[in-house]
Amino acid sequence: MSSATSAGARPARWRAGVGRVVAGAALLAAVALLPWLSGIDPALTVLRARSADQDPTPAQLAAIREQLGLDEGPFRHLAHWLGGLPRGDAGTSWVSGEPVLPQVTTAFAVSVTLMLGALVVTIAVAALVSARTLYLGSRRRLRQERTGIGVAILAALPKFVLASLLATVCGVWLGWFPSSGWEGPGSMVLPALALGVPSGAMIGGLLDQSLPAALHEPWARTWYACGLSPGYIARHALRRTLAGVLPQLLPTVVALVGGAVAVEKIFNIPGLGRLALDAAIAQDLPPLQTATLVLVLLGVAAGLLIQALRRALLGPALRDGALPALHSPALPRRHSTRWVAGCCLLALLILVVAGLLRDPLHVDTAARLLPPSAVHPLGTDALGRDLLARLGHGALRTAGVALAVTAVNTITGLLVGMAGRVSAGMTEVMSTLPAVLAGLLTTAVTGPSVWGAACAVCVVGWTPYAAQAAALFEQERASSHVLASISLGAGRMHLLRHHLLPAVLPAVRRNALLRLPTTVLVLASLGFLGLGEQPPTPEWGRLLSENQPYVELAPWTVLGPACALVLLSVLAVSAMASEGNRD
Amino acid sequence: MRTTSRGLFVALALTPLLASCFASGGSGTDAKAGASGRLRVALAVPPVQALSPYSNDATVLSKLSVVEGLTALDADGTAAPALAKSWTQKNATTWVFELRKATFQDGTEVTAESVVNALDHANAAKIKPRVLSDVTLTAKAEDTDSITISTKAADPVLPLRLASPALGILSTKAYAKDGTVSPVGTGTGPFEITKLTGKTTATLDRFDDYWGGKAKASGIDVTWIADGAARANALRAGEVDIAEWIPTAQAKLLGKDTRHEVPSVRTDSLVLNTRSGIFADESLRAAAREAVDGSVLVDSVFGGYADPAQGLFGPAISWAADKRVAVTGRATAATTAQVKSRTNGRTVRLATYTNRTELPEAATVLQQQLEKAGFTVQQDVREYTQMEADLLAGRYDALVFSRVTLLDTGDAVAYLASDFASNGVYNIAGLQDSAVDQAITSAAAEGDTAQRQQKIMRAEAEILRTDAVVPLIHEKVVQGISTDVEGVVLDPRERSLIDLDTRLK
Repeated sequence: MSSATSAGARPARWRAGVGRVVAGAALLAAVALLPWLSGIDPALTVLRARSADQDPTPAQLAAIREQLGLDEGPFRHLAHWLGGLPRGDAGTSWVSGEPVLPQVTTAFAVSVTLMLGALVVTIAVAALVSARTLYLGSRRRLRQERTGIGVAILAALPKFVLASLLATVCGVWLGWFPSSGWEGPGSMVLPALALGVPSGAMIGGLLDQSLPAALHEPWARTWYACGLSPGYIARHALRRTLAGVLPQLLPTVVALVGGAVAVEKIFNIPGLGRLALDAAIAQDLPPLQTATLVLVLLGVAAGLLIQALRRALLGPALRDGALPALHSPALPRRHSTRWVAGCCLLALLILVVAGLLRDPLHVDTAARLLPPSAVHPLGTDALGRDLLARLGHGALRTAGVALAVTAVNTITGLLVGMAGRVSAGMTEVMSTLPAVLAGLLTTAVTGPSVWGAACAVCVVGWTPYAAQAAALFEQERASSHVLASISLGAGRMHLLRHHLLPAVLPAVRRNALLRLPTTVLVLASLGFLGLGEQPPTPEWGRLLSENQPYVELAPWTVLGPACALVLLSVLAVSAMASEGNRD
Repeated sequence: MRTTSRGLFVALALTPLLASCFASGGSGTDAKAGASGRLRVALAVPPVQALSPYSNDATVLSKLSVVEGLTALDADGTAAPALAKSWTQKNATTWVFELRKATFQDGTEVTAESVVNALDHANAAKIKPRVLSDVTLTAKAEDTDSITISTKAADPVLPLRLASPALGILSTKAYAKDGTVSPVGTGTGPFEITKLTGKTTATLDRFDDYWGGKAKASGIDVTWIADGAARANALRAGEVDIAEWIPTAQAKLLGKDTRHEVPSVRTDSLVLNTRSGIFADESLRAAAREAVDGSVLVDSVFGGYADPAQGLFGPAISWAADKRVAVTGRATAATTAQVKSRTNGRTVRLATYTNRTELPEAATVLQQQLEKAGFTVQQDVREYTQMEADLLAGRYDALVFSRVTLLDTGDAVAYLASDFASNGVYNIAGLQDSAVDQAITSAAAEGDTAQRQQKIMRAEAEILRTDAVVPLIHEKVVQGISTDVEGVVLDPRERSLIDLDTRLK
């Protein structure tokens, strides 16, 4: 094992490269096969994208098929497209007949700019979230464990609801920023906030959790005793912890380049997410393939950059196995944590029990969008259905599916993360893949189904955990106590059970719980492909998306589900915090 | 602290990138807007083929008065002069059109040659425009200002057909060798496209040599905003002067004097699959028809922006109400008990699509109504393109469907023929009924306008008799128009929006 880490540096890099190429090629091939896998005639979808009212006569479809050369099969197409790439020719769009490359590069530039804006917000929010721990910790005044409840609330805010709110409040009511469009730096502020605040809370939450451990290490104590400035100590503690959190930026922020479709729609931003979605729905392969390729390259580039940053932060310690282990100090827990967990649980239980006693499907068009009252404690939706009933009936299904998917993703992530460098390429490639694309590929294979959405999310959702686990495993393997137990003759299983997993699991688990609300929303966002439960079945993600148009007219229709999601997230995080302390 | 300094660094490093990105992302609407009498318009459907008249984008060209055809449709839906100042029908298949003196936006004259060239290109397009799908026309220049158009079979609605935006006349320069057509600076209308930026914005300037005089607005800045709520927001924030198609959920947020409702030629209906499955049984179709009440949708799902269904053709078609024929000879509806025994545990697969936000809500209301009548219903709601192939193959029992009843011919027969004739390509109901076929054929052959309308209504009654389709509501379109603007055209056919007289106050 030790030989693999030191002497095998070059083969490992080589292997990582192979991993990237294989994963990227597999993904591109899958995309190229989409129309043939889905069984939906691309001539029909292209015709529909060009003209909504055109009759799909056999003659028209045949003309399109001939025009696009669809009868030649997928491989000729792929070869032709690949052949053009070195010449800077990514083909012409099947729908518009225009060259693809200029469209994709423009959209890519827009999306990357937006993503960088979101990154700035993310960093700012993360800094705010972890500032207190850092300040107290560097002055050795960290007495109690942070509960992370505020973080859980922020991270549970659905981005599209936040976007709608910002557009309405800051764009329309106050007129501070343009409500939509992409006309200048001013129009970047609101979308960057909508995307960055939840991501920042997520990243900040992870940072905040690992900071006490770094600040608790012997060097920090020594430096403090020597009278080094708290700022200096804080900087080094950050450097120590950032290395473990940085890889999260890839699936959380960089993935927004292709995965911010909802926010792009709300703010009318001509970004890559919408371009890829439109192309995927029209089965317009050249732009779809090009967008996928660009996303793959972006993922790999960002992955390499993050890897380099981590190297720069941790330096030779990572390579030489001289890192001390990062373990959280046993700080006394706050009593409030348990109280919060109890309250959330109680509130959710009341919600579920009260909701289950009511009819979630009864439509009453006369009782439309009623505000909360004694008859309808949470109000009614646009069809006059009782929101409390819908929340209550949807609770178990929503939480159950989201937890199951998260569990599968966490396990996949851990396994992939354990595989080391080979898997890094796969993680990078998959983490920028939009869930919608995974959904389309899933529908292509399985057809629309109840479990389709879960499958699709399982295909892409593991990347944050894999990235995190890989980074933590690497750090842990490089720590001195693991080297010590290897020299004492510990086997792989022993290492895994007693050293590696215990060090990695809590952080990954916390990450998973913070991402629980996102999982719920992503699951619901695939509904338009026929994946997941069909309406009118109540499900929290669907409640949010189907009521989103009414956010201003009847805020309670969105407030209820959003609060329920926040409750679920706070419950998960605080329950883990109080349980974690018992260990 | 390190985080902030890095943030600062990132922000600094970004500045040049940002500047270049926004510049290329396309502005050009700022600064100029408002001050010089330019109109700012938010349109809903982004261009799919760079504004080619042979695609969906054709309507944009007519909405913004960029391109004209030989004829235009007037308020009653009859043909009015446009580039042709008059026409005569020589015999059943031959028409002569007299051109008026007009100039293309590129400075060349409109001649018979150029009109023939434009029509020939439309005729020869690989993917034929919808309006030419059931007719083949040959155009011939007689002299410089008159042309003869002949059709293979008699086509009584030829002048209506020529009003279609897809048959707009563009100068020779517009037609490229590779088959693409560009309306940028090649139309004859009062506004000229000067710049098209991808699918996001377009700039139009007034064309001063327009034959009909100078437009009152000095130009139009178009932004495409696909999301309905975002369009409403843009209007409310004062970023645009006109926003089309405000979703019913957002309409209430606009001031009373900014929202203008227009009856639309769109009818939403429940289409029942007569070919196979539960609704192959006509008594069950009748039971479904009796169970379904579209009028409750008007004030709920459509927020008042709809009319209860009167038939296939709604109030937007002015002549329909007077000529309506009573439906007779319908099957007797099965009672609730009969429905239960005849469906025998089978579920109704009720499909609808997410592209129009109101439809899934409507489907849920209908589900409850059908279940009251004894049916068991399972919904399937997806994006339209994801299900179209299944719809055409008849894999659903029922579909909540929103359909334009006057297609780009401006003639109702085309819709009836494609949706309800036995050989109709869009016959989702799978209807095979000789009486219906006969009624449609006879309407299609009728040349006299009043007679034709009467026969169309007779065909409507025949179709409704079969219960293959249950009309639910007639949609209304809400156009958001700022109080600073006057003269916006509220057109039920959604072909016009801005014309010569539209201007800022």
